[in-house]
Amino acid sequence: MDIISQLQEQVNTIAMLALNTFGTLQRDAPPVRLSPDYPEPPATNPSEETVNVAEQSKAMSAALVQAAKKFDMLVAALPLSGEDAQLKRIAELQAENEAVGLELEKQLEAAELELKMVQELFNQAADNCLNLKKPD
Amino acid sequence: MTTATSSSYPPPPPYYRLYKDYERDPASAPDPPPPIQGAFPLFGATYTTDVVLPTLEDQGVRQLYPKGPNIDIKKELRSLNRELQLHILELADILVERPSQYARKVEDISLIFKNMHHLLNSLRPHQARATLIHILERQIQRRKQAVEDIKKRREEARRLLKESLQIVDGQLR
Repeated sequence: MDIISQLQEQVNTIAMLALNTFGTLQRDAPPVRLSPDYPEPPATNPSEETVNVAEQSKAMSAALVQAAKKFDMLVAALPLSGEDAQLKRIAELQAENEAVGLELEKQLEAAELELKMVQELFNQAADNCLNLKKPD
Repeated sequence: MTTATSSSYPPPPPYYRLYKDYERDPASAPDPPPPIQGAFPLFGATYTTDVVLPTLEDQGVRQLYPKGPNIDIKKELRSLNRELQLHILELADILVERPSQYARKVEDISLIFKNMHHLLNSLRPHQARATLIHILERQIQRRKQAVEDIKKRREEARRLLKESLQIVDGQLR
């Protein structure tokens, strides 16, 4: 895939990762204590869930930072050059293309001429052969 | 009910009558109209033939990176990336401290994304020119190769002719 499309895909990936991170955290976060007046929420003991949330958040934030680093790397790999430089190069290439095209045409014409001559010669030679070998 | 359905679609345009004698006399029919240039309406919507990327202001989106003819796109993309990371972090912080004020932050993040995509889209004409350069270079290379091939074959043919001439001469003597 060309690099601009890769960059666009990477931007979309970063957006998706951020979305997933916040969504998962909001869905899985344990209840939080609002004020010292309210009683402590009942300590339900699926302790593996709390551990999971901590690990997940670490993993997801690592993935986010990783995606951002990849974006930076792709940006560094962009082969950019000025528009004028490109237009100049295109004009040069067009001129060279014309010249090479003319030479190709010339060679082609000369080759076709030679082909015709050789065919003529061949016809004459064949005729002479036929005339020499008269059936008797 | 049938009148309603029959009048809701317009009839096809009546141009077919102009081509009644086309088989006998092709010149009697009018030429097709030339291709349209510029803007044209189609089924109530306006379309345009010269395709240009609309600026962010046209879409009502604030432009975060500096305007002007020559900007360093790589630098702008990198700084937008940093801004994005910072905003995501701030969003996480807001969700912890002041959860009801998330909307503004989310809007900011989407603004940054729109700017990034617009910058990337503005690179496409550059890519098109680079593709053109690549195509021209390949074509020049192929043409040069063809010239070399033709020269080689001509040489070969001339050599064969000379050889056969020598053989024929040898046989005559």
